[in-house]
Amino acid sequence: MKLEHIAEEFDQCIKCGLCLATCPVGKELFLEKYTPRGKIQLAKFYGRESLDLSAHCRDIFAKCLLCGSCSVTCPSGVDLNKVFVSMRERIADRRGFHPRVRQALDSLLENHNISEDANQERGEWREDMRDLPADMYEKDRAATAYFVGCVASFFPTVQSIPRAVAGILTAAGLDFAVLAGDEWCCGFPLIGAGAPEKARALMQHNLEKINALGAERVVFSCPSCLRSWKEYYDPDLELLHDSEILDNLLSEGRLEFQELNLTVTYHDPCDLGKNSGVYEAPRKVLEAVPGLSLVELENNRDRSICCGGGGNVEMVAAPLSESIARRKIEEIQATGASTVVTACQQCVRTMQTYLRRHKTALEVLDIAQLVQRALKHDT
Amino acid sequence: MLSKSLADELRSVLGAEWLLDSSEDLATYSYDAFLREYTPDAVAVPANSEEISQIMRIADREKLNIIPRGAGTNICGGSVAKQGGLILTFHRMNEILEMDPQNMCAVVQPGVVNADLQKQAAGCGLMYPPDPASLFVSTIGGNVALNAGGPRGVKYGVTRDYLLGLEVVLPSGAVIRTGGRTLKNVSGYDLTRLMCGSEGTLGIVTEIIVRLIPLPPAKATLQAVFTDLQDAAQTVAAIVGSGIVPATLELIDRVILDVIGDYGGANFSRQAQALLLIEVDGEEASTKAQGAKIEEFCKDRGAIAVERADTPAEADRLWQARRTAFGAVASLRPNCIVEDATVPVRNLPVMIRKIVELGEKYNLKIGVLAHAGDGNLHPLIMTDLRDAKEMIRVEKAIDELYEAALGMGGTLSGEHGIGIAKSRFLTREFSPAAIEIMRGIKKVFDPRNILNPGSFPESTE
Repeated sequence: MKLEHIAEEFDQCIKCGLCLATCPVGKELFLEKYTPRGKIQLAKFYGRESLDLSAHCRDIFAKCLLCGSCSVTCPSGVDLNKVFVSMRERIADRRGFHPRVRQALDSLLENHNISEDANQERGEWREDMRDLPADMYEKDRAATAYFVGCVASFFPTVQSIPRAVAGILTAAGLDFAVLAGDEWCCGFPLIGAGAPEKARALMQHNLEKINALGAERVVFSCPSCLRSWKEYYDPDLELLHDSEILDNLLSEGRLEFQELNLTVTYHDPCDLGKNSGVYEAPRKVLEAVPGLSLVELENNRDRSICCGGGGNVEMVAAPLSESIARRKIEEIQATGASTVVTACQQCVRTMQTYLRRHKTALEVLDIAQLVQRALKHDT
Repeated sequence: MLSKSLADELRSVLGAEWLLDSSEDLATYSYDAFLREYTPDAVAVPANSEEISQIMRIADREKLNIIPRGAGTNICGGSVAKQGGLILTFHRMNEILEMDPQNMCAVVQPGVVNADLQKQAAGCGLMYPPDPASLFVSTIGGNVALNAGGPRGVKYGVTRDYLLGLEVVLPSGAVIRTGGRTLKNVSGYDLTRLMCGSEGTLGIVTEIIVRLIPLPPAKATLQAVFTDLQDAAQTVAAIVGSGIVPATLELIDRVILDVIGDYGGANFSRQAQALLLIEVDGEEASTKAQGAKIEEFCKDRGAIAVERADTPAEADRLWQARRTAFGAVASLRPNCIVEDATVPVRNLPVMIRKIVELGEKYNLKIGVLAHAGDGNLHPLIMTDLRDAKEMIRVEKAIDELYEAALGMGGTLSGEHGIGIAKSRFLTREFSPAAIEIMRGIKKVFDPRNILNPGSFPESTE
């Protein structure tokens, strides 16, 4: 959305400041320009061209997780997230990408994924899978398509997540297909960097491939892929997060759990919770595991705090991303749970990276990994 | 803009990165939650009182205005650079220095967020009662400067009632200490309480000793639903008049209920024309008894229902939604003027009637919100500053509102402060002799008038 079309958003901000209470970036960097209220003021000034789009400005707007906490908090109903994405569009348009993301985005446009690897490697997660069918889940036709996403496909530490999903769906007798090397990045990093038009080709490609399968529904492990499909693709397809399909399979009696004596807490990923409105499905799945007890985080559901992995901040300001991750980990530790379950590979990766770096013992699981562990006949 | 030599001198005190003067910084320290914006010359982010003392010496010498700012949530224009100058912020002075449960107090730096202090105190079984709607954002320093109140004021009082001592940097650079850790202290003039509510015009508060009280073990939140605003107002006066003092006694009318809606999942009555949000606290048995008594009072005076929040989370949602009222009205009109006239509680029903009349007389959309138990009204006038004709009507309505409040023995401001929002009305509440005393006090502290100039008391026009 172009900045000039959303003037009413920032005109509606009366600077009450309530968003300062929930913005993770504002809490770390504390200067007003980094707070949502401050960024709205800057957007207003830039919108009427009374400030230059300086390099400093680009840096300020890059320091936003696009987590949506401010939008949820705002009592005036200002869609701050929309304003900040629009600002990134204007900045990208007039000054180009932030230097720290430029290389990654150029590589994305060339390789169609967020890693530096060739896209043909996208199916690598299936290697070493027990009971891998001969077709390796690649099919000509399927009612259900599983869109794996770049993070789970390319980062070895989280490749066990799609393996778990594939195993569970198979155990439940649900036929599905993956696109493997024909799956391209969903475009989310480009949208977040302010270049949605550059994501068009990726979107069109993905849509064509999914439609060629004759799919009626697409299942996502990555909440950010789900969000970009919901907000930018707008297809005539049912779009579900894997936690939702797990919840469906449970209520249809297609999954059976064994007892798991475990105390866990649950971290709501921003793009699944605040930005897609899915809060209950993963909780219902957790509550269905006998012996498992769920302790909620102090800030849960729409008050959940970002893990630090959102909005390309990790690329632009790694120390900021890390200090936000630290707060998340501290909040998790305060629950006394030995395991944190989430439903996003980026969250898993961000938290695990922090824990590894700081030699902190805490188990991080994606909801699919937990379900795989709880399955009676583990595939 | 500061001269280069002055900026360099300030940088040598603060460290280069803590004097901010980029266009982005000036734009984002040009506002608080009041309506008018003023661009400062620079922003300082000091680390301690020594740095502040040095800054004050320089400022006094150079006649550089200094405007202290907490989180910028005040709604009277108390923390904007009305005549330019240096905004002084406390982002780096945000530590709870000591919790002292044995003396029932805590020592905090001015940048500590109110809710953080409350949380830490609760961890020791103690309570810091002042609870402005901005409590998750606003700072103790700002609360002291504005003498912030909140819903719990009816039972527990306001910021002023919880101050034991302060460290203050004066414009001369001198650092003074007032009060101490004792509950009783009658030595000399009460400078602690003089600083409280002085809106940054007398000195810079750099350390605060706050009094804490035992955290009540139980509380209950009730909403009493009325189909008539007057019935609700009469009930408030009757409850307080009977000697029952709930922890909070808030009145919210339909206009406000509509704009806050179901924010954060709050479940307010849909039938209410007015609603009393009441919290009682204390020992389990006494909260039960008080709750029952209040319920009876409400029903006897026309409440069609009295509902109890079933869980603490449900009660939290009601309060969280109530706190958003000021921001939420922005969804109706571009601007919102929050008035703060306060009357003796017996006069509350008359005053509320007056507000409704003013809305009709001047064709204005006014929502009624009140910390009703202590007579503290917050009529929210929803308007558009760009509509000159309507603004004339708004001015007239405000004028009559104050006339009425003062006529009943009330005040211009119960808890929001005078700032630039109400300075022009100050001469109505105070005689010329009283204003002269205030100006004299200001001169003693700040002879060169560098602290937050353009505020009361020098500006009463």
